[in-house]
Amino acid sequence: MLIYLLKRLLMTILVIAVTSVIAFLLVHLSGDPAAAMAGEGASPADIASVRETFGFDRPIVFQYLEWVGRILSGELGRSYYLRMDVSDILADHLPVTATLGVMALSFALLLSIPLGVAAALRPNTVIDRVALWLAVAGQALPSFLFALGLMYLFGVYLRVLPISGGTTWAHFIMPSVALGYYATPAIMRLTRSGMMDVLQSDHVRTARAYGLSSWRVVIRHGLRHAIVPVVSLAAVQLGFMLGGSIIIESIFSLKGIGYLAWESIQRADIEVIQAILLVIATAYAVLTLLADLLNAALDPRIRIS
Amino acid sequence: MKSRTMLLAASLAALASTPALAGKDNDTFVWATSTEMDTPDIYYGNQREALITTYAQCDSLVYRDPKSNEVLPLLATKWEWTDDKTLEMELREGVKFHDGTDFDAEDVAYTLNHVAAPDSDMKLRVIVDWIDNVEVVAPHKIRIHAKAPTPAAFEYLGGTAPIFPSGHYDSAPEVPGADGTTRRDWGAVTPVCTGPYKLTDYQPGQSVTLEKNEDYFDGSPKGKPSIGKIVYRTIKDPETQIAELVTGGIDWMWGVPTENAAMLGDMENITVVSAATMRMSFLALDAAGRTGDNPMTNVKVRQAIAHAIDRKAITENLVGEGSAVLKSMCVPVQFGCETDVTQYDYDPEKAKALLAEAGYADGFKIPFYAYRDRPYSEAVLNYLRAVGIDGDLQFLQWRALRPLIVDDQTAIAQLTFGSNGMLDASASTGYYFQFGPDDYARDEEVRDWLGAAEKTIDEAERKELYSKALKKIADEAYYIPLFAYGRTYAFNKDLDYPVTDDEMAHFYLAKWK
Repeated sequence: MLIYLLKRLLMTILVIAVTSVIAFLLVHLSGDPAAAMAGEGASPADIASVRETFGFDRPIVFQYLEWVGRILSGELGRSYYLRMDVSDILADHLPVTATLGVMALSFALLLSIPLGVAAALRPNTVIDRVALWLAVAGQALPSFLFALGLMYLFGVYLRVLPISGGTTWAHFIMPSVALGYYATPAIMRLTRSGMMDVLQSDHVRTARAYGLSSWRVVIRHGLRHAIVPVVSLAAVQLGFMLGGSIIIESIFSLKGIGYLAWESIQRADIEVIQAILLVIATAYAVLTLLADLLNAALDPRIRIS
Repeated sequence: MKSRTMLLAASLAALASTPALAGKDNDTFVWATSTEMDTPDIYYGNQREALITTYAQCDSLVYRDPKSNEVLPLLATKWEWTDDKTLEMELREGVKFHDGTDFDAEDVAYTLNHVAAPDSDMKLRVIVDWIDNVEVVAPHKIRIHAKAPTPAAFEYLGGTAPIFPSGHYDSAPEVPGADGTTRRDWGAVTPVCTGPYKLTDYQPGQSVTLEKNEDYFDGSPKGKPSIGKIVYRTIKDPETQIAELVTGGIDWMWGVPTENAAMLGDMENITVVSAATMRMSFLALDAAGRTGDNPMTNVKVRQAIAHAIDRKAITENLVGEGSAVLKSMCVPVQFGCETDVTQYDYDPEKAKALLAEAGYADGFKIPFYAYRDRPYSEAVLNYLRAVGIDGDLQFLQWRALRPLIVDDQTAIAQLTFGSNGMLDASASTGYYFQFGPDDYARDEEVRDWLGAAEKTIDEAERKELYSKALKKIADEAYYIPLFAYGRTYAFNKDLDYPVTDDEMAHFYLAKWK
């Protein structure tokens, strides 16, 4: 187990190192960061002054190694744009994204697992059709359109939910639903197909033959097996929600990590971009690891192999 | 059942506690744009949002009245050029900064000398680059020594040059610089000023809160502030801004999309107004041959391009309310902006004839660079295609386009420029026609006229020089002016405030009806 963990850790570090090099190169190769920082309308002298102040006139390898040196000594750097330490910015933005991600995933799981189970229990009935329709709609509807629809209905027309910002928990309801709905179809279809497979398996038939209640059969002997791949998928979806909620965060004006990443790329705020990358890559790695451990707990066969 | 009722009650209570901030009833005016403010210190950030905040929070030496365009005394009460490089100013007495300290000549000298220093890292150096040093003559009298005669001095000493107390930047944090060195992050210091509103809260990238300065001095041309609280919020998405405006979450937005303007205008609680801005859109053509031998070096080709584009149609149908056809390479509100220059009517036949005369009867193919508002660029390209010029659109981000411009790579580029809010023709002409890296015309005569205009104090003579330069730029069709952007504002109907043509929002003048 220890060797397995060490292997995973080494792999994670390698992934983070490679992505950070690529991100660093992309920011530099996609244009002149000094021009982006100085802004439109800046004179050549203004741009030159920015280039010198931030050391962009030096070889890119030096600049990268300097950054790595600082990271290794525990400094995440400073945002030239927001004029704050990156660690403080992350402390502001991470809780917003974490709240959004967890609430969205909870919504997605609460909606999709019962629907998936119901669809599997009554295949080709109205329930299954409704579930399928919900899945197709979730997949097909662009998330921004769904978000704007929610905003119009609950924010403008009914006026029961706040439209933008993140000061109270009520501010997170619409963004969580909009973000979570997008993850629903995949989780639901996976639950449905997993359940259908399991319900036809020998051990479920045996359980039924023993006269166990159908509820017990479905939950204890069916869902427990069917949910294994769902856990892995949910972990990936949560990772996606943490890093990829740019559109939802920008529509509802939530100052989270996805929004921060997008804005920072626009303004070539290199140290913030690199720090977010580290955080997201680490979050993905940790979530995947947790999913594997959880799966091992749910399914003894994984533990043995 | 009981627990469900309690949960519902708790939910409703939580919803009810959501702060309903904006509006007349709370005496709180909330405005929103999609920009994240980088600093409220205008010396270290050049965003409109920072300038709007600065005008409300800070005072400068002089004030340009946005309605009459007249320069009025603010922190300086009287001034005189004692020679063509020395400006002597008497300062207002009895003024206090928001931190309670008294304002005097030391503060003016400190602020201007700090930002004018070559290593100040100031963002837009043009505002202070003309200052050699500022000398304290008496407790309320200063002398500004300019490096050269500077007729645009009052433009620079207006709203873009707020005065901070002595020692203001002492608290600037020391942050890591390049090569293991450190540098001072001057822009991280929150401004302290003397203006009609005090800054009481600043959340980087999110919000700025200003509160009425009850002790604001009498006799300021800005008048006494009326609204209690002014809050700025960043809301990225225009649709969200509209939703907030409609429901009273915010009181003001700008940049209303054309397709939403009419709908908002029909609403009872909202006023919609369009006004001009200072941002101009134009084609920069490589007349100087910087990209090598190319069709743009031929004046007939450049004139053909000017004739090929229906600027009026693009302006009216695409850019929309508030925009206007740009007649010259400057905006009319700028001093010295000559608009009586050669105009090229939309005439595709004439364009084709000119191209034939230039030896391009079959047209040609050329890369066409742009970075802002793709639909406008597509429209220009369509017009060019109709006369045989096949532009290959290279639509890039500004930071990717900028190095190409500097490296002699752009034979045709559709660019925009906002003159950094400077109401003087030198702002745009200086950038594009004085042999800087953005100058693709490289006309020595134009350069010399503009250079002379920037050093001539006599207003009539300056105007004459700008007129000559702008006329030649139009005759030679070096750059093709297209349109000045418009902007549509939508705000709470209870709000009384002047919408002006300087692309500024003078909220300190606002009051509730």
